[in-house]
This record gives sequence, structure tokens and C-alpha cells, in this order.
Amino acid sequence: MTKKIMAIVLVFIGAFTKVGAQELYVFTEPASNMPSNSIAVRLTNEGMFEPQFNNRSIAEVMVGLNKNIMFHVQGFLSDFDGRYRVEGGSFYAKYRFLSLDATHSHFRAAAYGRLSASKRPTYTRDINLEGDNAGWQSGFVFTQLMHKLALSATLGYSQVFEQKSKQIAGAPQPDQMLNYSLSSGYLLLPFIYKNYNQPNFNLYFEVLGKTDPVHGNSYLDLAPALQLILNSKTRIDLGYRFQAAGNMPNRYLKNMYLARVEFNFFNALSKK
Amino acid sequence: MKTTKIFICFSLLFVINKATAQQITTVEMQVTGLTCSMCSQATEKSLRSLSYVSDVSPDLNKNVFVVTFKKGSTVNLDQLNKKVKDAGFSVGKLEANMTFNQVKVDDQGQAIVGSSIYRFDNAKNQVLNGNVKVNVIDKNFISNSAFKQKSAVVKFDSYATGTGVVNGKKVRIYHLSI
Repeated sequence: MTKKIMAIVLVFIGAFTKVGAQELYVFTEPASNMPSNSIAVRLTNEGMFEPQFNNRSIAEVMVGLNKNIMFHVQGFLSDFDGRYRVEGGSFYAKYRFLSLDATHSHFRAAAYGRLSASKRPTYTRDINLEGDNAGWQSGFVFTQLMHKLALSATLGYSQVFEQKSKQIAGAPQPDQMLNYSLSSGYLLLPFIYKNYNQPNFNLYFEVLGKTDPVHGNSYLDLAPALQLILNSKTRIDLGYRFQAAGNMPNRYLKNMYLARVEFNFFNALSKK
Repeated sequence: MKTTKIFICFSLLFVINKATAQQITTVEMQVTGLTCSMCSQATEKSLRSLSYVSDVSPDLNKNVFVVTFKKGSTVNLDQLNKKVKDAGFSVGKLEANMTFNQVKVDDQGQAIVGSSIYRFDNAKNQVLNGNVKVNVIDKNFISNSAFKQKSAVVKFDSYATGTGVVNGKKVRIYHLSI
């Protein structure tokens, strides 16, 4: 299992050291922040077709408080427990503590934290704080941009708030989880910028992993994605994640598509 | 045709004459740490939120922003720098087009224009007149490595902090290179 994961990670690093990317990752967050005083609104739909079609919609507001601090507020709706209903919410904040800029490149490091609530019953050791579980998460992100290629690594720890009333009897129950990821993004188009109205086309490839530190169960997903940026402010993401290796029974978000649209309002909060 | 030429020359003269009323007419900034047009857009919008900025013209490939200011306005270079930082990036180079009117640079390399104090690392005992292109060499206006190199060469005690005591008052001092 561990060997398989290592092999996949190595292949991934090898394949992507030569190509170039951007850092507006689809399945993870970069260490960079939003511009200060800006607001963005996101609508995301994610779902899977097996064993039957179920999906979740996420409404999200993102705020760049100042150049180093930003936060997201999310609301989750899904039909995972029958009828489509509101299932929870989440608050995510990120603090950028390191920023080394050079022409056409940068290295950034950030710390993040998340608090989540969810009404869903629990029946697996897996933890997903974007809809499925109530709990907290904290971690670090490191992002290196090199002209058209951006690489990013995330390492985090999460723990659920134990809610006996939501536990399904006899099923495994969540406790804590390590999450880690390696992401790469590549700016495909335009080759040469002429103006803000040119669409940007970015290609992403992410490796997303989780390990239960107590029981040792793990999984590793590969997640390719496409991204289109229109007028330098509207972002459209299309991605798919599938499990490459893993032994976590009943895990969340297995073989899942993701579709998202994001609108950016720069300087929306600045008092002129 | 000739009349048109004369007219254009005359108008130019007029424009230049007007410009002497202000010190900084345009600024050319190299912004570092960004490569995407969304980032450039954020930077431009951030700069435009300053009341005295009249136009921002970006070169999206080189990440150079030419900022033009409203006539007669007082330009604050530190504020420009902060706006770039607010957007999430840094200034790697800043070249300002400054208009001087018989400004004397003393034997130490210091010039006082109104309430602004400038110290030149490569000019002394001279009188500045007309349009002069200057580079700001203060911290956060050049790359960190360039600042370290400059720190070893620039003699002013005010260089490390960008502030110093002039006529008994602690003031912001911009360090410039011609």
C-alpha cells in the first residue's frame, strides 16, 4: 500500500517537473491569498454516479480581509441522505506567513484552520469537513510558482466533534485524520498575454491522500482538472477525482466529479 | 501642415510647462510574484483605488505597470507600494518620472523639494532641472537581494529604515538613483 502510494507520487513529480501551471487549484487551496478587500462567490456541485447518482451543492463566499488573512464561509446541501437538504456549514481561514517574490515566480507558505458543522450520520472512519462531518482541521500549505508551473503541498490534521446521536450503530466511527496533497497547475493558454479579456486555460493534476493515524487506513486519489478564466475575474472549474489506492471502507467522495463557477469582485470592500 | 506642427509643438510645450506644477508625473513599476492575468487585474484595480491615480497601463507579460497621476496631485510612493502588497504581490523595481525645477542636490546627496526629502546614491553638488527618471532604491522597492547589495554600498544612515532626522524632525526619506 505505502509502496504503491510512493510510486504514484514519484511518477507524478517526474511527470510534472518539466511542464509549466497556475495555482488556483480545484481540489485544494494554494498558500497565496486573495487580494485584500476583495470578495469572491463560488457555486460548486460535486457528486458520484456509483452506487447511485448523488450530489452535493456548495455555496461559498470568500473574503480577502487583508493581504495575509482570508476566509471562506460555506454552506452544504445534498441528497446523500434522501431528500435534498441543507446538511451543514464550514468556516475556513488562511494566514499567509511567508512570501518570497521574484519576477515571474514566488514561494509562499500559509497556515489554515477550518471549523465545520454537519447533520449527516457517521458510518466511516473517513473525515470530510466539507459536508460530511462536524469537526476541526488545521494545517500548512506551501506553494511554489515558476512562471507557468505552480506546485503546492498541503499537510493537515483533522478531528471530528463526537456526536453520539449521529453515529450509526455497528459502523466504524470517525476520530482523527491526516490529510496531505501535492498539486500542480499549468498555464496552457494564452502563450502571450495581450489583454485581460483573453480567456486563461489552466490544467491541473493533484494527488490527494488521507491516512487514519490510529487504524492505519489510507487512500490516495488522483484528480485531474480543467480551468477556464474569463475576463480575468470569472473562473470555471471541471474536475474528477478517482481512487488510485486505498483501504478505507465507505470513504467519502470516491470517484467524484466537481463543477464550479467563481465570481471575483476586486476591491469590493475598500472604502475609496 | 507646418501650422499643425507648430501647434503640436506649442501644445507639447504647454503640457510640459503644466507638468512642472507636480513632482511625479508617471511611475513604471515592475511587480513581482505574479504570472496570471487575474493577478494583474487585482493589482491594477488595487492601484486604481488611489484617488490621485488617473491611469494604469499594464504589460501583462512583463508585469510592468505604468501608472499615470492626476495633474497637480501629490503622489505617495509608499501608498503605491502598499496597494501592490494588498493585491498579494511585491514591487521589484520602481522608476519614477520626476519633474524638478532648479532643485539643488547638496554635497551629501540630499535634496529637499517642498516637504519631500530625497537622498541620491549617485548624485551630489548638482542642480536638477526638468524631467528626470529616478529609481527608488528603498527596501520593498527593489528585490531583497538587491537591497542587501545596496545596503553595503549606500552610505546614508537613513537607508536601512527609510527614515531619518532632518532639521530636528524624524521624516520619511526616499533614496533615489538617477
